[in-house]
Amino acid sequence: MKKHILAVILVVMVLLTGTLAGCNSTSNTNTNTNNSAFDNTKAISVITREEGSGARGAFIEIMGIEVKNPDGTKQDRTTTEAIVANTTDLVMSNVANGQYAIGYVSLGSVNDTVKTVKVDGIAVTEATIKDKSYKIWRPFIVATNGEATGIKKDFIDFILSKQGQDVAAANNTVKVVENGAEYKSKGLSGKLVVAGSSSVTPLMEKLKEAYVLLNPNVTVEVQMSDSSAGIAAAIDNPEILAMTSRKLKDGENLIPVEIALDGIAVIVNKANPIDNLSAESITKAFTGELKLWNEMK
Amino acid sequence: MKKKLIDKLSTAIFFICALVSILSVLLICIFLFAGGVPAMGKIGFFEFLFGQVWKPSDIPALYGIMPMIIGSLYVTAGAILIGVPIGILTAVFMSHFCQKGIHKFLKPLVDLLAGIPSIVYGFFGLMVLVPVIRDQFGGNGNSILTASILLGIMILPTVISISEAALRAVPDMYYEGALALGSTHERSVFSIVLPAAKSGVFASIVLGIGRAVGETMAVIMVAGNQARMPIDLLKGVRTLTANIVIEMGYAQGLHREALIATGVVLFVFILLLNISFHLLSNRKKVNG
Repeated sequence: MKKHILAVILVVMVLLTGTLAGCNSTSNTNTNTNNSAFDNTKAISVITREEGSGARGAFIEIMGIEVKNPDGTKQDRTTTEAIVANTTDLVMSNVANGQYAIGYVSLGSVNDTVKTVKVDGIAVTEATIKDKSYKIWRPFIVATNGEATGIKKDFIDFILSKQGQDVAAANNTVKVVENGAEYKSKGLSGKLVVAGSSSVTPLMEKLKEAYVLLNPNVTVEVQMSDSSAGIAAAIDNPEILAMTSRKLKDGENLIPVEIALDGIAVIVNKANPIDNLSAESITKAFTGELKLWNEMK
Repeated sequence: MKKKLIDKLSTAIFFICALVSILSVLLICIFLFAGGVPAMGKIGFFEFLFGQVWKPSDIPALYGIMPMIIGSLYVTAGAILIGVPIGILTAVFMSHFCQKGIHKFLKPLVDLLAGIPSIVYGFFGLMVLVPVIRDQFGGNGNSILTASILLGIMILPTVISISEAALRAVPDMYYEGALALGSTHERSVFSIVLPAAKSGVFASIVLGIGRAVGETMAVIMVAGNQARMPIDLLKGVRTLTANIVIEMGYAQGLHREALIATGVVLFVFILLLNISFHLLSNRKKVNG
């Protein structure tokens, strides 16, 4: 008897999903127009990443949200009222659903559910990151425990070669080496483990595909965790290549190599009419000095 | 002879199986305390527990988890306020008021509620509850209230199924005796059967609290996660579990240890809850 009822529920749910999915495709445009009544006297809802995240570290440092004092102390002045999202996706959905939200994510992760704003009149693109006119970017780094040798060295050479850097450029990150040398396979064989940052992982997967194509006897394993875990793994085991989206800290005795630059885009809700913000007002919004949208310039 | 051997062999296998769970609990305890207690020492026990500022990336870093302790308490209390009355009344309805046909329909639905993964609850909260709270009450929608409502829904299946079982376990003669003395159906249920099932109902509440305290993914998605003392029902809050999950990814050194120490505090919370659950269920045996 119970089974029958469960079956009925299942059928009803499947039907519901079908009809709702059908509705959604037609009503999507409606919900967007509903949002268009943007009231700029409303409070800014600031979305930030968690403490220790690579994106947050780079963002607060570049934007002057972090204050370094001469005596070696430093404070992160991000407003305590900021919503803390622990993944890029959560920042995206918070901004996509929050009409008055502002946040920041890696350029490669931006899609059309949100709107990127220009900072001091400069849009975030590969060109503006490359010529350093757009200020907010961070390096993607691989780090080795000791001097790189064997497959590890060959893989890093590949990343910095013309082919490897082209892969980086094709993945919304910016090359660190212009006109790199052509990579030639040395016909190595063996296994390499790359571990670390979830921000670097998508790029690393693509690099791995390209590399394995040229070196069919090498297997590369990419383990996604986070910057700190990757660094810790490389410190424990010199065979592992760490990938990180933050700079190494004191006590993390690895040799870093920059492999690409990643722009950090400032994003707002699509209903927000603002196209351009000054770096100063972005900083003030994130420190909580500016509270309302009509104060933002 | 052979039978005896099989008997002994299976006893040994069962014993090993039992050992696995005991060993895991012990190992987790050792890991937590070995990893967390030294950090408490380094930070200072009182500064850690009663410090009101959590700024792990600053130099000097501040590790005060009071905001998260209070946050967990607020959100759990909110969940109890919302979930327990609805849960208990649903249990009363299911055990004594609804027709068999409806029960057959309702019971699997409640079970289904228990089976939904918490990330799905969180997504539902982010897409549905957050905008509703933002439009109806103001604020940015990621708030103590939102988290409480979501957790209130999440503890419903726990509260309902255990309370219902407790209500059904009350001997029929209680109810029949009340009827025989002239009280109505409603009165018999609420004044006789429900008090008789008291310990089971309390146990369900304690288990519900345990679920609410331990819930992580769903809460992270709707609570805002601000690491400061809770100030307003419509402002955000960070719970102990959220603190660990959010920052573990990038933490290192003392920061990481402080997060494990947060786990120790959480563990003590859950331990206290389990002890009270056992006290309640033991009393039930004495009563029954």
